[in-house]
This record gives sequence, C-alpha cells and structure tokens, in this order.
Amino acid sequence: MFVKPFSRRRVAAVVTFGFLLAGCAKDAPQDTFDPAGPNAREIDSLQRPVFYIAGVVGLIVLGAVAYAIWKFKDRGQDIPEQSHGNPKLEILLTILPAIILAGIAVPTVSQVFSLDKKDNDCVINVTGQQWWWEYDYVKGSTCGGVEITESIVTVSELVIPADTPVLLRITSRDVIHSFWIPRLNGKRDAVPGRLHTLRMEADEPGIYTGQCTEFCGLSHARMRQAAVALTTADFQSWVTNQTADYTSPEAGTTAAIGETTFIAQCSRCHQVDGLVDGAGNPVLAEPDRFVYSGAAPNLTNLMTRTAFAGWTFDLISDECRDRLWNESPETFGAAYLQGVWMYSAADATAPACFNETNLREWLLNAPAMKPMYTDPTKLAETGGKTRGMPALGLTQAQIDEIVAYLLERK
Amino acid sequence: MAIIERPSVIPAAVGGAGATALATPSSSLGVFRRPVAATGWRSWVFTVDHKKIGIMYGVVSLFFFIVGGCEALLIRLQLAAPDNKVLGAGLYNEMFTMHATTMVFLFVMPMAAAFANYFLPLQVGARDVAFPRLNALSFWMFLFGGIFLNTSWFLGGAADGGWFMYSPNSSRLFSPSHGIDFWVLGLQIIGIASLVSSINLIVTVLNMRAPGMKLMNMPVFTWMVLVVQFLLLFALPVITVALFLLSFQRNFGAAFFDVDKGADPLLWQHLFWIFGHPEVYIIILPSFGIISEVLPTFARKPLFGYKFVVFSGAAIGFVGWGVWAHHMFASGLGPVSVAVFSVATMLIAIPTGVKICNWTLTLWGGKLWFTTAMMFAIGVIVLFTIGGLSGVTHAVAPADTQQTDTYHIVGHFHYVIVGGAVMGLFAGFYFWWPKVFGKLLNERLGKWNFWLMFFGVNLTFGPMHILGMQGQPRRMVVWPEKLTGEGFFNLHFWNQVATWGSFMIALGVLVFLINIIHTAKKAAPAPLDPWDARTLEWMTSSPPKAHNFDAIPTVHALDEFFHRKYEEVDTEHGARLVKVKSAEEVLAAEEARADAHIHLPSPSYWPIVLAFGLPIIAYGVIYNLLLSVVGAAIVLLGIFGWVLEPSVADDSDYDPPAGGSETKELSPVG
Amino acid sequence: MADIALHDHGAHVSSTGLSNNKLAMWLFLGSECLLFGGLISTYMLYRGRHGDGVGPAQLFDVPLTSVSSFVLLMSSLTMVLAVNSAKRKDDRNTNLWLVTTGLLGSLFVGAQVYEFTAFYNEGVGFTTSLFSSSFFTLTGFHGVHVSIGVIMLLAMVAIISRNKVAGDKAEAVEMIGLYWHFVDVVWVVIFTLVYLIPA
Repeated sequence: MFVKPFSRRRVAAVVTFGFLLAGCAKDAPQDTFDPAGPNAREIDSLQRPVFYIAGVVGLIVLGAVAYAIWKFKDRGQDIPEQSHGNPKLEILLTILPAIILAGIAVPTVSQVFSLDKKDNDCVINVTGQQWWWEYDYVKGSTCGGVEITESIVTVSELVIPADTPVLLRITSRDVIHSFWIPRLNGKRDAVPGRLHTLRMEADEPGIYTGQCTEFCGLSHARMRQAAVALTTADFQSWVTNQTADYTSPEAGTTAAIGETTFIAQCSRCHQVDGLVDGAGNPVLAEPDRFVYSGAAPNLTNLMTRTAFAGWTFDLISDECRDRLWNESPETFGAAYLQGVWMYSAADATAPACFNETNLREWLLNAPAMKPMYTDPTKLAETGGKTRGMPALGLTQAQIDEIVAYLLERK
Repeated sequence: MAIIERPSVIPAAVGGAGATALATPSSSLGVFRRPVAATGWRSWVFTVDHKKIGIMYGVVSLFFFIVGGCEALLIRLQLAAPDNKVLGAGLYNEMFTMHATTMVFLFVMPMAAAFANYFLPLQVGARDVAFPRLNALSFWMFLFGGIFLNTSWFLGGAADGGWFMYSPNSSRLFSPSHGIDFWVLGLQIIGIASLVSSINLIVTVLNMRAPGMKLMNMPVFTWMVLVVQFLLLFALPVITVALFLLSFQRNFGAAFFDVDKGADPLLWQHLFWIFGHPEVYIIILPSFGIISEVLPTFARKPLFGYKFVVFSGAAIGFVGWGVWAHHMFASGLGPVSVAVFSVATMLIAIPTGVKICNWTLTLWGGKLWFTTAMMFAIGVIVLFTIGGLSGVTHAVAPADTQQTDTYHIVGHFHYVIVGGAVMGLFAGFYFWWPKVFGKLLNERLGKWNFWLMFFGVNLTFGPMHILGMQGQPRRMVVWPEKLTGEGFFNLHFWNQVATWGSFMIALGVLVFLINIIHTAKKAAPAPLDPWDARTLEWMTSSPPKAHNFDAIPTVHALDEFFHRKYEEVDTEHGARLVKVKSAEEVLAAEEARADAHIHLPSPSYWPIVLAFGLPIIAYGVIYNLLLSVVGAAIVLLGIFGWVLEPSVADDSDYDPPAGGSETKELSPVG
Repeated sequence: MADIALHDHGAHVSSTGLSNNKLAMWLFLGSECLLFGGLISTYMLYRGRHGDGVGPAQLFDVPLTSVSSFVLLMSSLTMVLAVNSAKRKDDRNTNLWLVTTGLLGSLFVGAQVYEFTAFYNEGVGFTTSLFSSSFFTLTGFHGVHVSIGVIMLLAMVAIISRNKVAGDKAEAVEMIGLYWHFVDVVWVVIFTLVYLIPA
C-alpha cells in the first residue's frame, strides 16, 4: 500500500506485518500487542486472532477486487448480460460473514464477563482529576501477602506487587478520565459520581506506562501514569517506607529552612503527612479551598516517584530513566526503591539521578510547563479556585529551599 | 402551518378549471410579491430551484472542506514531532473539535445534501422537490449556522470539548469560553436545516416519483439517500434534546450535567451516541449510493443484487439504532450491556459485508471502463473494506478497551469517512460534473487527483492503526519522546509518515480545485451522455433545463435510460445487447411529447430572511437576550411573509412583462 | 391537494396517495416523538434526584393538573369538529371551533403558567435540582408546543376570515388538527408518567 516513498523491501515489511500485526515490536512502552499480565494477555488472545481473521478476509476481498479489475477491464468485449444478481450466491455471501462473526462473538461475550470479575483482597481506590491520578491503598487490604495497615495515598505511580491480582476502584473528582495501562489491561473510564472497577496484574516486576485516554480538557495530553510492579519483598519495603513516620530536616540546613518555606508556600494545597508547624500543630492541606477539584498531589514521599505533575516531567535524569526501564525483573525493584537516589554511591551526598531542572522550572512557573487554569482573572466560574498549580512567584532562594526540603521526602 | 409550496396554476394557462377553488392572494399585498430575477445574484439568493440550491450546497460545503482540511493539516503538523510546539494545548483542542465538527456537519453531510438536492428529483423524474421554499430555507440555515459556528474563532475561541462534547467537561466550569455555546447553538441551527431537508426529501421521493417508478425501481442513490433522511428524521431530535439540555445548563443554569447535584454524566453519552451512531451511517450511505450508480455505469451491467443492496442499506439504517453503546465500552456500562452491544455491532457488519460483496460482483464479468469516477468508486471499495474490517476488531468489546480513544480508532474512522464517504463524493463529482455543468472534468488531472488522494489516505491513516496499537491516544496535543520506542513501529517515524500523507491528500484536493478552474475555463461542452449512463437524471439535457424534463418520463424498469438505449438483438452468436438508440434520440423522443404547460415555483424572498434570524437569536442567547428578540422578530417577519406571499409571481412583476417565457422560468416547451 | 394535481396535469398524482403537506406533517410528528422521547427519558432518569429538596410527590397538585388535562383533551374534540366543518366548507363553524380549540389550549397553557408560578413560589425553580430542571424542561417544551398550536389556530382563523388561504382550506385545518392531536397525545403520556405514576 505504501509504494512510493519507500524501498521495495520496506514495502514488503509494511504490507506483511504492518496491517496484520504490530506484534513483533517490543520496544514501545505502551504496545498493546505486548501484554505483561493475565488480563491484557486474555484480551490479546482474542484481539490477535480477530486481527488475523480481518487480515485474511481483507486480503480475499482486495484480491477479488484486484482480479476483477485486471480480468474484466474493457478489452473490447461485448456489453455483458444485464443480470441482476444471483440470489443463491448472495445468501451464501450473507451467511458466510455471519458464521465468521458468530465465531468471534462467542468468545467475546464470555470474555466480557470473565474480565469483569471483582473478587479480590487488594483494593486500591483510583481517583482521576485534572490532570493527575491519585491512589489510595485501602486500609485492611492484603496485597500479595502484605497487609495495608494504614491507608497510603500516593500519586501518578501505582505501585503493586507483581504476580498478584489487584482491584482498582476508579472514579473522578471532576470530568471523565480513563485509566489505561496498555500492557496490563484495557482502559476503564473514571466517571465522577460512579465507581468502576478494573483488574490489574503484572507478571513480573517492572514499570508499565499509561495515559489518561478520555479527553479531559486543557492538559489531557499531560495526564499520564505508570504502574510499577515489585516483588513481594520489595513491595513490603515500599509499604513500610510509605507508612514510616515523618522526619524533619536537620536543623540549620537549607532543607530545614525549606520546611518553613514549604509550610508557607505549598502546604495549603499539598499534604505532607506528619508535618507539624513551629507550634507543633499538624499542618493539614486544604486544597478544596484553593483548587477546584478539591485535591492536590500528596508529596509525603515525592522522591520515591520517578516523575511528577501528572507523571509528565521526570524526577530522574534521562539516562537513569533508560537504565531503570531496562532493568531485569530481578534487579528492577532494588533500583526503584531508591527513588531519585537510585544508582548513587552509598556515601553520596547528592542523588546521582535527580533531575533538578524540571522541578525548579516547575516551582518557578508551573503553568508555563503544563497548561492549567490558573489565571486569577479567569477563575470566576470556579469562585477563584484554580485547576492546576499556579505560578507562585517564588524567588530563586525559596526554590532552593523547597527543592532541598523535597529532596528529603523519600 | 399551511405550507403551500407548489404554485397554483395561473388560471389563464389552464383555462379556469379548478382555479376557482383557490383563493390566490392578489398582488395588492404590496411587499408580498415574489422575486422574479432569472439572472444575476438575485436569481441565486432567492431561488427555490433544487438544482441551484444543490450547487450552492456544493460550493459552501467545498469551502468548509477546505477549512476543515487546513485544520487537519495543522493537527498533523503539531503531531509530526514529539513535544511539538506548533499549536498550544488550548488551540489544539479547539482545532480537533472544529476539524471534526466542520468535516461532519459542514462538509460531508451538506455535500451529500448537495448531491441529494440536485439528483433526487432528477432520479425519480420530478421537476423539483416537494417543498422548494423549505429547501431554500434548509440551505440558508445551514450556511448561516456554519458561519455562526465559525465566528467563534474570532470571538474568544472555538469549542474545545471534542466533537462528542462529553459532559461534564463541556460545562461552563470546565470550558469557560463561549466556544461550546457557539457549537451547541450552531449545531442546533444546522440540525433544524437537516431536519427540514430530510422531511422535504422523503416527501419528494415517496410522493413525486414519475409514473411507473416503483420503490424497487428507484436508483440506489435515491434509496440510500432516502434511508439517510429517515435516519436524520429520527436521530436529529435526539441530539436536539441533548443540545438543549447542554445549552440550558451553560446559559440558564440548569443542573443536567452537574455531578454535584447528582447528575449522571452517562446521560449525555447515551443521547449523543443514539444520535451519533446513526450519524455514522448518515455520513457513509450517500457515498454507498453514489458508487452504486458509478460502478454499474462503468461496468456496463446492473448493480449485482440490487435488492440485496437496498435491503442491506435499510438494514444498516435499522440496526444502526441498536449499536450506539459500542462507543462506550470503556464507560463502565456493566458486562451485560457491553456483551449485547458488542454482538449487535458484529451484526451490523453483515449487511455492510453484503454491500462490499455486491460491488465486487458488480465488477465481475463486466466491461470495466476506468474513468476517474470509476477509480474513486473502486477506491471506496478498497478503503472501506479496510475501514470496515478494522471496525470489526473493535466490535470485540475486550479488544476495544485497548483500542478505543487511541489512534487506532482515528485510523479506522478516517478510512471509513475519508476512504468511504469522501472518496465516494469525489466519485460523484467526476461522474455528475458534466450533468451539472455541461462540461467534463479533466480526466488527466482527475487521475492525479485520485492517486494522490488514494495514496495520501493510506499514508495518513494506515500508520494511525499502528500508532494506536503502540499506545498513542487520540486528542493529545503532544506525544512524548519517552513513549516513542525505537523499533520499526516507533511513534516518531509513523507520525511523520502520517503527516506527509496528509499533505499528499491536500495536494490531491488542490489538483481537484485546479481541475475545476481548468474545466470551467478550458473544457469544451460535454456530450449529452458521456458515460453511457443508466438512470433518469441522464435522460435530460446537461445541465438540465429549469424544469428538468420536457415530459415526465414513464418508467418501466430499473436503469430506465439504459433500457431505452439498448435492446437485446438476436444475432448468429446468440442474443446480444445492442445500442439501438443514442441518448440524443431518446431525448428527442421525450421532447416530442413535451408537456404543454410547465409551472415552476416562483423564487421567494423569505427563506433567506427567516434563516437569517436564527443566528441572531443564537448570538442573543450568548451575549444579550435583547438581540434574541430582534432575531425572533426577523424570524416572525419571515414566517409572516412566507405565509402571505402570493403563490406565484404576478404577471406584471416580470420585466419584460408577460409573454417573455424565457424570463418567467415557465418555459412552455413544445 | 388541488394545486398539485392540477400542476401535474393528472399525469403525476402523489405516489402514496397522501398529499405532500400531510405526509410532511406525519414525518415531522414522527420526528417529534423522538424529541419528546428524549425529554421524557431525561425526566424519568432524574425525577428522583432532588437531594433534600422538594420532589414530585410533595410538589404536584394532581387534581388541578387533571382538570387542565381534561381541558386539553376536550380541545381535541373541538379540533375534530373544526376539521369536519372545514371539510364541509362551513367557514363560520370552522372558525367557531378553531377559536374554541384555541381558547381551551390557552386555558391549558394558563394553568401551566399558574402551576409553574406556584412551584417557583414553593422554592422549586428551574435550576434547583435535577428533578426540577428536567421537569420544567419537559413540561415547558410541551407548553411551547401547545402555545405554537394556539398561535396557528388563531392565525388560521384570521386567514380564513380574510379569505386568504392559499390552497386547500380543509387540508390546512386538518394539518393543524394533526399537530394538535399529537400534542394532546404527548400530554397524555407526560401526564401519566410525570404526575400519575409515583417516582
């Protein structure tokens, strides 16, 4: 089909593989033909044959058309008989596709039901919001033998135990979003006021990327997410770390000044669990006063994640990201658990992989990096509440302090 | 409500019989005269002639096609590279929303209406549509609605919610500009236009067929358009409801999509897709009709299985109502609904498959003549087959949860809409151009046009299947480098291919525009029957006279015109089809029995006046309700004038006064 | 319709036997069914959604609405009489019955305006809840249809009185009749679903 701009070899490659199947490419992180868990594999086992059948039927039809074009072109033959068809042939040609489709319909229906199973011990509430995902690990769940003793709230990166079925309960705080990790399962819409479930399971430790796939407004393209699968032991460490007590920065350091700056500048929207102010009172975020949808990403363990702002901007450098994504299932967890400190020497004073530029730019002027509704003159409809993070007008010194503080949220 | 469209007979012409029953308002009404201009701009602006209205529909839709095409090119430019910065996020969202809206509502549908307007009366052997003034009204409402919709670009930004305008993202809160208000009200106006026109065309087809033209003798194009009009008739009110709910919410504070008050966002999805899925067939069936005319003509044999094609068209129209929720497989409908709609969707593939088989078998055993029109028609078979089969892959609901909202879907429906509908419309351009304008489009340019578009479509939309399966979602202003991959199926390469392809399509369209100009300036008049055609619209002069047929033909068979030209003659080699009469001879025979008195509806001032009031009402809803009052007054004035204007122009209105049969458009022939 | 038959010189009477106008009106009403279908579905989905506010059970004054429904039903009867008179070419009676129908229709619309005002005073406005929005939209749409019908009836009377009917008078009246009966039938459905069957 693509004749002109390519070499003949490539034409052959495209025609043979392109339309039939994109199956041999294993390298696009969101390749739907490369399932990495039982749910996606179940879909794949149905999707693939349907593609093959469609391909074969297509080739037969196109072959017939091509043959007819060649065979019956005007070579001066007589005007053909003015026949109006052949009912028997037509009935046959009606029944034939009906049989093929019946063959597809039966497994389709059975799979629709089998994918809808909801029995599970490990339940995570997933909430979409313009333009990021929040995960709330339900207290009392047991995920791969690890008990969740207190609720864990995290953002963008869904950490799950490998080889363990997880049930997501998906909803939204504002508009409709859709949760999709292509290599683990199909997508499911997050609809405000409704609760939808989706099963997730990854065979092996690793990182599986995804995106919001229901158009959700201005920065829909920058609402991404990932599922991170860890071995049970690693998952246990992750849970322990997430539920660990808050530690204040050492007095006198930049990070300690950063804590004060954070309380002054950030904490009215962003929660850091365990944070207390100078008087010893807990600092509780009230994002619903400032943010339309009523939440802002929880930053308690920010530096355990590899990206921020709807998983759009990396917290780790490109090299570290490539290295992490290519880790074997055995070694992946160890690196991932280090957060931005991954691949750093044990005695390093600064994390080797930290992508400081992104975070600084973001703190300086977030809406310039990711379009959001933050212009104070245009917030009449939401009573002054923003949708997204506004530019706070921080000084470079304040940014230094906040970055130093956040670097310890690991 | 007395819509009296057909002019009553001028008593003098008929001799008083029955004229007493009619109380024709006299010319004493002063302003309520009817315009009479037969030339100049007035002859277009006030026309009620279905052919002129058809041409105007065509010109305006072509203009919007170019607008929508430019929007598409900007989208492709933005997606040509990762994290590209051609368009900002807000502008990009407006761009794809308006691209879809423009292409669907302002190009494909009205272009089909252009063909329907022009050819339906000709194909059924009528002299005009049933309600010529309503026909003009439809056109002007469409034009003003389209302009209204596009003025949003200059008034604070166009709609940015995607063409499906899902709630609650479409509420004022999430889309504070007036873009969606323009979209809602513009579609409302265009919807009324389509509704009026659908009633008009259904009545025309059902009521005004030439003697002997039974339903099963109607050309397939007429049939498919008839099915489409029924779909419009029943689908439009549903979207009308949805649009009313949305504008009541946005403009008057109603709570329909306010989730905080307990609204269910799925209500909009159901209403939208109950309209939206029949809409898919509204888009595609006219093109099916066109190629079902083109293929038999150039294969020199009747459409294979005419009845099957007609019935499958009707079946598609029917089953099309039961599959809307396949757009919502990821919406969380629950497994029972999903399973039911999944199977229903597969069901609809059967009549569609029937059509493809029948077209292929129409070619089989024929004597194929590869004109540009024929090539476009065969192009439709090829591209639509691909689009249809990729459609089957997402009828499989679990697979669809992977595919939906990705570029795989974008690729699929562009194969269907561009490869199916648009290529079909182009087949219609090349096929019917000599009928409408009396000149043949240049075939050499036409072949360039075809091949550029054919390769362009494959290069643009073929890779999108790959992109989607590689995880590139649709409606994304950027795709990031880190999700690109490095292998053969990397997003980078295929996005670039798609962008180049889109410019190839644009080049093809440009060649078409050049062809139009070239033909208008250079081409010699076309022969009367350049394609050795088969149906009634060819059994008249090109372009047809104002009254279409000198004598209303009596129909004996499907492909009436062909059967008047060809007869089976016994020769030593058995029975052979032989051309026994030329088109000119057939026409001369018709002329010889021309009707003595032909009365055409007089032009009217009021359709354009009435239509003009609607966008003013709409601007009023957005900016100031006082303006709506002004608009409503114009509409009322229009209705008032409409009802009270005399049913024909008074003799004394003509210049030169009565007797100049040419200027009166009353052309008594014979 | 006379002018069509004349126009076509007998060679080309309407293929279905129905006049163009009448066929068009039937098609239009078919389309209207879907319009009201959509509105009724919306109401049925949302009628229970009024939060802590007033719901249908507390709000509706069924006896009053029953009376106004009866008035509207009676107007269908007078419409039939008008159509009959028009067929007999009895302008006087046609006008009489048309005016009566129009008056009954106005009475219905008046009752609806009264009802809306009463609801509003009870604190149930258009924007109050999903229930109220969908209720006012549904019944409001119907009310607008009745009002348009009344305008058509009175316009018809004016046109007949001045003898300005372009075309077949009886058919013009009959078409308004079709529309009027349709609007009546829709009300029967709305009245049953909205007022009589409890949420």
